[in-house]
Amino acid sequence: MSGMRRVIHVLGAFWRLNVAEELQYRANFVASVLGTLFSMATGLLTLSLFFHHTTNLGGWDYWEIVVLLGVFNALTGVIEAVLRPGIGQLAGEVRSGELDLVLVKPVDAQAFVSFRRLDLWRLSDVVLGLALAGYALTRLGRVPSVAQLAAFALALAAAAVVVYAIWVVLMSLAFWFVSVENIAVLFDAVYEGARYPVSAYPGALRFLFVYLIPIAWTTTIPASALTGRLRPEIALAAALVAGLAFALARALWRAALKRYAGASG
Amino acid sequence: MIKRYAALIRNAWLVDLQYRASIVLWLLWGVTEPAIALGIWWAIAGDGSVAGYARDDFARYFFAVMLINQLTIAWDSWYLDRWIREGDLNYRLARPLHPAHEAVAENIAYKARTASVILVVWLLVAAAWPAVRLPFDPGRWAITAVAVLLAAAMRFFISFTTGLLAFWTTRATAIMELHAGVSLFLAGRIAPLALLPPAVASVAGVLWFRSMLAFPVDLLTGAVHGPGAVLRGLGGQIAWLGVWIVAYRIAWTRGIRQYGAVGG
Repeated sequence: MSGMRRVIHVLGAFWRLNVAEELQYRANFVASVLGTLFSMATGLLTLSLFFHHTTNLGGWDYWEIVVLLGVFNALTGVIEAVLRPGIGQLAGEVRSGELDLVLVKPVDAQAFVSFRRLDLWRLSDVVLGLALAGYALTRLGRVPSVAQLAAFALALAAAAVVVYAIWVVLMSLAFWFVSVENIAVLFDAVYEGARYPVSAYPGALRFLFVYLIPIAWTTTIPASALTGRLRPEIALAAALVAGLAFALARALWRAALKRYAGASG
Repeated sequence: MIKRYAALIRNAWLVDLQYRASIVLWLLWGVTEPAIALGIWWAIAGDGSVAGYARDDFARYFFAVMLINQLTIAWDSWYLDRWIREGDLNYRLARPLHPAHEAVAENIAYKARTASVILVVWLLVAAAWPAVRLPFDPGRWAITAVAVLLAAAMRFFISFTTGLLAFWTTRATAIMELHAGVSLFLAGRIAPLALLPPAVASVAGVLWFRSMLAFPVDLLTGAVHGPGAVLRGLGGQIAWLGVWIVAYRIAWTRGIRQYGAVGG
């Protein structure tokens, strides 16, 4: 376990530096919160527009989807604070050869690449997202039981793992297709689909989102667990999916790393 | 000038060719938003219709959005922001050609490549799926082409001018994102303007947003009825294009005057 402890130690040092750095740019905090509020507002307005013409979307009513939107925003915070500035930089580093500098470090490369940065301010998205979900719950007039809350917490953690696994898979592809520096765009495109419950989509898309690109597990399932739409046991399935996704991503990462021959001189 | 443009476009085309895999990804990203909107409206419409739009109408509308958005989108504010912040504008200013020409040439090369991909995909889909077929009407297509050209020019000047704000602020691209957020509704990206509350739709018509995208899309799908409506739409496009050209000229002359070059 000493390898693990070393990773945590090293990452802790990196995060302290990041936080110290970001605390110097406090105006960015205001800008970041305003940006988040704006994107939440556009999300809510879009939803209102849909519900101007309907009373339910895939069997979900307005405030249920707002709960889901809150989950979406919370996960966006994790993505923007940790994943995009960390593992999201990988494709470019594979191309330029900067990855060499990572590989020579005496820590697990995947752990280091994934969690080396923490953009503190974007964590406000997590807070605002969860607050939105909580507000929507009160509008629904539902008080979640302890079991539902626990299921939600587990499903949300599983969702973060699934999102992380998708990033690892995409970035590993960069080892084969060196010229796609903007491969993160592919994630943004697919993740847009997570704004709405999967049941709102036509059959083929729904199958894609549940089984092939598992974004159904990122927002639909945690939101369902919180609103009581699905029974708390669903969180166990979510954990299983997350474990599977993580194992697959790790395997692909290993295979990808074997291909890497270095490029810097 | 034509020879210069030919060279610039050729150059941009070859650069894009190098990054064709990246461009495919941007393209994919560009079509997901209308695809998701189509999926949602498709579910809402069901077997009936929403404000006169049945499933087939939504399909045609959002396919037209994919094509025309790709033909009119302009990334220039991001380029200009970087040129100004990192000093890449300097050597462009030293050239005997205004940097805007390079940007225009890049737009033409990029749009020719990406829009033709969408057009081919649309034709293939239409062969299998009658819902997205448009009636054969060359006259309407010709007018649409003019409207697309005006919209592309206007969005270019909007993007370029907003990018020039980088002379004064570090948040020029954030302003552009704000504009994109508003245009989600007012330009018809998330829904046909006919589905917005009437007051909001009329704001879109009074400002430049309808001219950016919704008007050419409605022209193509046949939602604009009568020569009067067509002429009013084109007139609005020309008027707002004029306004944005003036805004661009002001921003450019003022910005250049106070630009203290960065970098070497």
